[in-house]
Amino acid sequence: MFSFRNQLEIAWCPGCGNFNLLTALSEALVELGLKPSQVVLVSGIGQAAKAPHYIQANVFNGLHGRSIPVAFGIQSVNPELTVIAESGDGCMYGEGGNHLIHAIRRNPNITVIVHDNQVYGLTKGQASPTSEAGFVSKTQPLGTVSESFHPLALAVSQNASFVARGFAGDKEELKSIFKQAIQWKGFSLVDVLQPCVTFNRINTFGWYKSRVYSLPEDYDPEDQVGAFKISLEWGDKIPTGIIYRHSKPIFSDLVFEKLGRKEFLNPTRNYQSIFEDEKHGFE
Amino acid sequence: MPDITITIGGEAGQGVQTIGEVLSRILIRNGFYVFSIQDYHSRIRGGHNSVQVRFSDQPIQAIGTDTDLLVCLNHETQEIHQTALKKDGIMIGTISSPPSPSLPSSMVSIHFNEMAKELGNRIFANIIAVGALIEILGIDEKIAELYLEEIFQKKGKDIIRLNKEALALGQKEIRKHQISRKFLDKRNGSQNPGKLFIVGGNEALGLGAILAGCTFYSAYPMTPSTGVMNFISSRSKKYGIIVEQAEDEIAAINMAIGASYTGAKAMTATSGGGFCLMVEGLGLAAMTETPIVILDGMRPGPSTGLPTRTSQGDLEFVLSASHDEFPRFVFAPRDPQDAIDTMIRAFNLSDHFQVPVIILSDQYLADSNWTFSQIKVNEKPKNTQTVIGDQNYQRYVLAESGISPRALPGMSEALVVADSDEHDEIGHLTEDLELRVQMHQKRMKKIEKMREKTRPPVYKAGKTATIVGWGSTYGVLYEAREKLVNLGVDVGLLHFNDIYPLSKDILTFIKSVPQPVVIEGNYQGQLARLLERETKIPFSLRINRYDGRPFFVNELMNQIREVLS
Ligand SMILES: Cc1ncc(C[n+]2csc(CCOP(=O)(O)OP(=O)(O)O)c2C)c(N)n1
Ligand code: SF4
Repeated sequence: MFSFRNQLEIAWCPGCGNFNLLTALSEALVELGLKPSQVVLVSGIGQAAKAPHYIQANVFNGLHGRSIPVAFGIQSVNPELTVIAESGDGCMYGEGGNHLIHAIRRNPNITVIVHDNQVYGLTKGQASPTSEAGFVSKTQPLGTVSESFHPLALAVSQNASFVARGFAGDKEELKSIFKQAIQWKGFSLVDVLQPCVTFNRINTFGWYKSRVYSLPEDYDPEDQVGAFKISLEWGDKIPTGIIYRHSKPIFSDLVFEKLGRKEFLNPTRNYQSIFEDEKHGFE
Repeated sequence: MPDITITIGGEAGQGVQTIGEVLSRILIRNGFYVFSIQDYHSRIRGGHNSVQVRFSDQPIQAIGTDTDLLVCLNHETQEIHQTALKKDGIMIGTISSPPSPSLPSSMVSIHFNEMAKELGNRIFANIIAVGALIEILGIDEKIAELYLEEIFQKKGKDIIRLNKEALALGQKEIRKHQISRKFLDKRNGSQNPGKLFIVGGNEALGLGAILAGCTFYSAYPMTPSTGVMNFISSRSKKYGIIVEQAEDEIAAINMAIGASYTGAKAMTATSGGGFCLMVEGLGLAAMTETPIVILDGMRPGPSTGLPTRTSQGDLEFVLSASHDEFPRFVFAPRDPQDAIDTMIRAFNLSDHFQVPVIILSDQYLADSNWTFSQIKVNEKPKNTQTVIGDQNYQRYVLAESGISPRALPGMSEALVVADSDEHDEIGHLTEDLELRVQMHQKRMKKIEKMREKTRPPVYKAGKTATIVGWGSTYGVLYEAREKLVNLGVDVGLLHFNDIYPLSKDILTFIKSVPQPVVIEGNYQGQLARLLERETKIPFSLRINRYDGRPFFVNELMNQIREVLS
């Protein structure tokens, strides 16, 4: 069974939104009945990227921005594994933005969880791609002038398989979203509103609490155009829940279909006979 | 028999390569050893392209310098290549300018395209040219006809008949002219019976990876490594290999690392510019101790450089790429046979030591074809060395050997924790500086054992001097040496395939060779500098070429003599 790892000291600031996110994810994994050895948590670099270390599972903590390609490699070779890539908004949308776009296109069966605190935590408070225009920091003393990035609108517009938003202040809903995302066959993106109590004085727990609302029961997540509209909603009202869902073939199934069901770990290849066979092409 | 060099030039898309390929195959069937190389511009249509086909009844493994027979498919070919034509050389094809007095070579003007139109289709121009060539060379047309039957078998009898007619047309046209020079004495080749194989560098690298057991290949196309990707993709179904064209080189290497962490034998390939992007991933593989094979097909740089030319300029880069220190192997295959063996060894050693292996190929190796009387697999591919762990499994246990037993995720109760941050024995990130020292020592310790696994350079003794080189220059250096020895200049040869790390014995040995002259396709003498660093003796005699072209035997012989005088 999953549990928090007790021996590892958690390196987050007290009161940080990361804690609820971590609890929600570990509980989701427990409730899904997964064995730790079946799960691989892949992360990049940042405060958020430390999360996998606090969960008992297989872990690949790689480079800043590169968790998605690593997760893709893992899931392609062993589709039996439950693969979750988890990192911050700087990591997933900044340094790793290109990989996100292409993962949507490939549709591997992985879940991407973004701790979206709209700021760079680990490097001490610079603006991130999701910071609102005007965000002031030591690095942006005049306030950023760029518009903020809309990850969900991008994902919906690109027909991503599963797109959701959670809020770290609502652990139960977040857990339910995680469970659905992990069980979903295909690429899932869960953007989690995660207040950074140290560096983001704008998007605080209170700021979010007065704005977030859960999508109503009768909301239809299968309607891409409706979902796109909802994905743009931001400001006084911020929706949470499953924003878009669209079932489509996943990368490893398509590859197996083309290659046939193959063994990628120590394949039984008779190299001598392959050589004899291929050699004729050289004559 | 002296070797014969044929150059076929024309615009991209005119069939230069096809003529070269068909001619090579016919020569091989005749029992000749062929070496061929393409010289092309970085464009798909237009631009001047050429193929050189050099052959002999003796094994040859290098590009030639002077042309015996020049085939001009357009006017430009004459302008560009006639200076390389031998005094008794022959030029055929589209010839415009009158023979210059300095060029007593004979010329035969033939218009392959117009002749092809007579046959009803421009497509036959290439085979007409081949017909002309076999007639000039004195090759039995029966062998050529058999070859045509074979390759056009699937296209039906009519196509075979038309191609044979094209061949005969080319021959007939030549017979109308007086050809000043005889190339082959016996019309019926087979001076060298027995089977010969023609193998290209990229194909051999791809085949080596397949034989080694590669099951995951991710890359972003970049000349001259793309041919390897094509070779492996074309066999991905047959052997079960996931081949993914990544969105960039960063993704390519990270995908391969993920695949390898999971247990696949994974590889990526690129050229210098793409390798620049992969460098952080190289460090990730090193820190997480994830095996990976990275192929760098070198071309001149920096930056995008000369996309379709050759170079040996990346050695120092790959030796020190990525920050801080970690063990890595650097290999540079000599020729296609060696490429097959090196790839297998690369996968075995990467897996055994859990370190990255970088293979340096180059455009010369990638795009050339060599002939072998036999090709073999001299290395035995090994299965991945992994363990089944339990709950107490620790990925980075401080093993005496430096090699911690590797478990795979999902294969047992063991949890596999890999980290790019400095980590403890389990794999969790740590900032404990004592542990950092132990972990760093654990990784670095591997180098000593790795040294013992590397191969000594090829060595042929010589009294006056020793020419030293690495990678794809082997054939040229070998031949230059032979020729010098025949002329009474007793030079030796020292040629490196395994470049890093070098064993202690080899380093001691290198110090003892007479007058080393280091020959490299770069400006600064990067191998020379490595040897200086490792042996603490100067390697000051050097020959360097960095104009994007390979070394040529004759030119090189003169340069060696100059350096030694
Ligand atoms: C290639 C690279 N560039 C920069 C860094 C430095 N760096 C570490 S974390 C980080 C940003 C973290 O922000 P985010 O991903 O939003 O995560 P958070 O810390 O806010 O959870 C940066 C820029 C790095 N480690 N690697
Ligand atoms: S810096 Fe911000 S995101 Fe990082 S732990 Fe502290 S509060 Fe959380």
